[in-house]
Amino acid sequence: MSRRNFLIKTVLTGAALSLPTGLDTLARAVAGTPPPASLVMATGPSAAAVTRAAIGGLGGISRFIAKGDVVVIKPNMSWDRVPEQAGNTNPEVVATVVALCLEAGAKSVTLFDRPVNDPRRCYVQSGIGPAAEKAGGRVEFMNDRRFKKMAIGGMVLKEWPIYRDVVEADKLINIPIAKHHSRARLSMSMKNWMGVLGGDRSTLHQRLDECLVDLAGFIRPTLTVLDAVRVLVANGPQGGDLADVKRLDTVIAGIDQVAIDALGATLFGLQGSDLGYVRLGHQRGLGNMRLDPLHIIKLSV
Amino acid sequence: MRNLRRASQLLFLLLFLYLFLQTRQTGQDELGYPVRIFLDFDPLILLTTLLTTHSPARAFWLAGITILLTLLGGRIYCGWFCPLGTLHSLVSRLGRRNKENTWQHLHSLKYFILIILVSSALASMQLTGLLDPIALLIRSLSVSLYPLFNYGGKALFDTLYDWNLPLITDASENLAAALRGNLFAFQPPYFRQGAFTGIFFIVILALNLLEKRFWCRYLCPLGALLGLFSRYAFFRRTVNDACTECRACEPECHGNTSPASRPGWLQSECYWCGNCKDICPGRSVSFGFSGNKTGEAVSLGRRRVVVAALSGVAVVPLLRAMPYKKIPTLEARLIRPPGALAEEEFLERCVKCGECMKVCTTNGLQPTLLEAGFEGIWSPLLVPRLGYCEFHCTLCGQVCPTGAIRPLNQEEKMRTRIGLAFIDRNRCLPWSLGLPCIVCEEVCPTPKKAIWLEERQVTGRDATTAVVQQPVVDPALCIGCGICEASCPIRDQPAIYVTCIGESRAEGNQLLL
Repeated sequence: MSRRNFLIKTVLTGAALSLPTGLDTLARAVAGTPPPASLVMATGPSAAAVTRAAIGGLGGISRFIAKGDVVVIKPNMSWDRVPEQAGNTNPEVVATVVALCLEAGAKSVTLFDRPVNDPRRCYVQSGIGPAAEKAGGRVEFMNDRRFKKMAIGGMVLKEWPIYRDVVEADKLINIPIAKHHSRARLSMSMKNWMGVLGGDRSTLHQRLDECLVDLAGFIRPTLTVLDAVRVLVANGPQGGDLADVKRLDTVIAGIDQVAIDALGATLFGLQGSDLGYVRLGHQRGLGNMRLDPLHIIKLSV
Repeated sequence: MRNLRRASQLLFLLLFLYLFLQTRQTGQDELGYPVRIFLDFDPLILLTTLLTTHSPARAFWLAGITILLTLLGGRIYCGWFCPLGTLHSLVSRLGRRNKENTWQHLHSLKYFILIILVSSALASMQLTGLLDPIALLIRSLSVSLYPLFNYGGKALFDTLYDWNLPLITDASENLAAALRGNLFAFQPPYFRQGAFTGIFFIVILALNLLEKRFWCRYLCPLGALLGLFSRYAFFRRTVNDACTECRACEPECHGNTSPASRPGWLQSECYWCGNCKDICPGRSVSFGFSGNKTGEAVSLGRRRVVVAALSGVAVVPLLRAMPYKKIPTLEARLIRPPGALAEEEFLERCVKCGECMKVCTTNGLQPTLLEAGFEGIWSPLLVPRLGYCEFHCTLCGQVCPTGAIRPLNQEEKMRTRIGLAFIDRNRCLPWSLGLPCIVCEEVCPTPKKAIWLEERQVTGRDATTAVVQQPVVDPALCIGCGICEASCPIRDQPAIYVTCIGESRAEGNQLLL
């Protein structure tokens, strides 16, 4: 797709999306464009540019963030690892989304995670803390008092303590990294919600796929940005050996968590249906793992 | 003079407390503050470390400055700089004022304590840390008072949060967030023996109610050491002939030196508190250069000195003749911090100051009781269930004042083994119950994981089969950090646990050929 073409489509898509429901089909028919992409996969050497392009391809940040919104961003900064080791979300990707939200007029952009390693080291060493703050975000350590037992209503998870701010935010953006995980096979967007749970998360591994689907059914982000700038192909989810890191220079943006994880799986030579939680999420109607090429925009920037 | 002295005391106490609070994880690899500097300035630690190891503590020249100061001017350190001394001054104010000083015969006690510590150090046992004022103060703060402070703070903020009052709860939450990680700890610390250490400390403080600066006068071994060096000081207190021996200075004296007596004034016990100068109605007291050596030292008695020295030597076999001398690996859970020297040398150096426990990222470093024998009491050991050893953290080695824990760089840290993990297959979920888990593998931090997964088919009660991943430890890769033990979902008695075998520091405690 040429830049010219892309820009035209972006503008048209954006225009179509700004119309009330029902009218957009009409608008599309008038404009003669395919339905708006449900997923955008952007590739290129600059993580920031790729992130902007991916969100732009979805219709731009203003489709998701309104003026005065209280925005919460959940990156993966779970491990005491540096960006090159691909254990955490790429800091440039995160900072770009923070900047976009503020450009769209967000009142505040807050970021947090419940890391496995020491939070202070994870926030600093992942590069996300400094980068997100520089972009104008508030990087907060989680406060134990703010975990509140909530009714998840899942098949396995009936109730669990969840971080209040996640549910109370006007808009929630998930920014996971795509990486290897021995139990889940791959850790991507649905798996990233483990980081907003309180309590003893380790027991969830006994029925991980079910728990992930239960969680993704309860926590519905406005937008998901999957970082695959560097991916970890083995020894995940924390890595540590640069030989296990593969540079893909890719970012996927979308709304459907199941679809995003299904598309993410293809980056590792797998299908969505190879992942238990994607399969289950599809079955339960949480999202669509069947990737329709018509609904995926692939960009090169 | 008194006000100047008080300003100095306050300044150094605040500096001490500030550095204490800075003894913490910030997220960076390096600490950034000279948090152990009060220990570096401590000549008693320097002396006994020299005697036990025949090599100095890490920043020994700083202790040289304290000695030089004392040689020139006597125990100015005790009166103007020592943070524990300042605390004693403060608590003393709670006691009865103008009380007569009667227990002068106890002065010699601290010298005997010093002699015992020094002679046992000569015989290779480092007991200094138990009574050295700086080590004692940092340990008591780290292990007991700071946890108490944090517990109280947390209880208060928890309560205000639960009340959920308009404005007030918001304000308290903002305050808690602002103070977290600086005034309050990032996570409230908890220590075994916290109460024990705290009670010991409170008793020492309470002695000031019996008599002003009781510890400094009669017990402090560092004070005794400085007392010995103060003998020949030529900056000193002098009293001119205008003195009427009105004895107004007597109850004011911090050191119980008999300041009104000429001769008989105890030069070795003077802290330069300046009270005598300020109170003197005839202005006959002055502090400054003087060739006139009027003061005296505490007389100890040759026979008692010899007995104390011999006791110090005899203490060594008394405390050491224990089963761990026969089998050094008797205590499997004696997991020392990364960079700790081989046990004998470690104990010769460790002064139990608790700096490593204060700085430990996960609160996993805890004081021993008798795991390392009597001589090892309050030295650090890792209790993985309370906190694992953070893979990239090297702070304990950075703060150790004596080098008992060697400072490691990142490369060394990643290779340093402090133990080895073992799986209890009778408790492990995939092994014993056929349930999926692999949490230990997920958290294992070595670049190539030291825990690998073996896929096995298991058959359930109703003859259904499933494939589960069963964790196996690779002893060639495991460094014993204990994050697996800390994370194991079997909370009461983890199915994976670390023992000290394989630790890099001990040749005699290896598993692999």
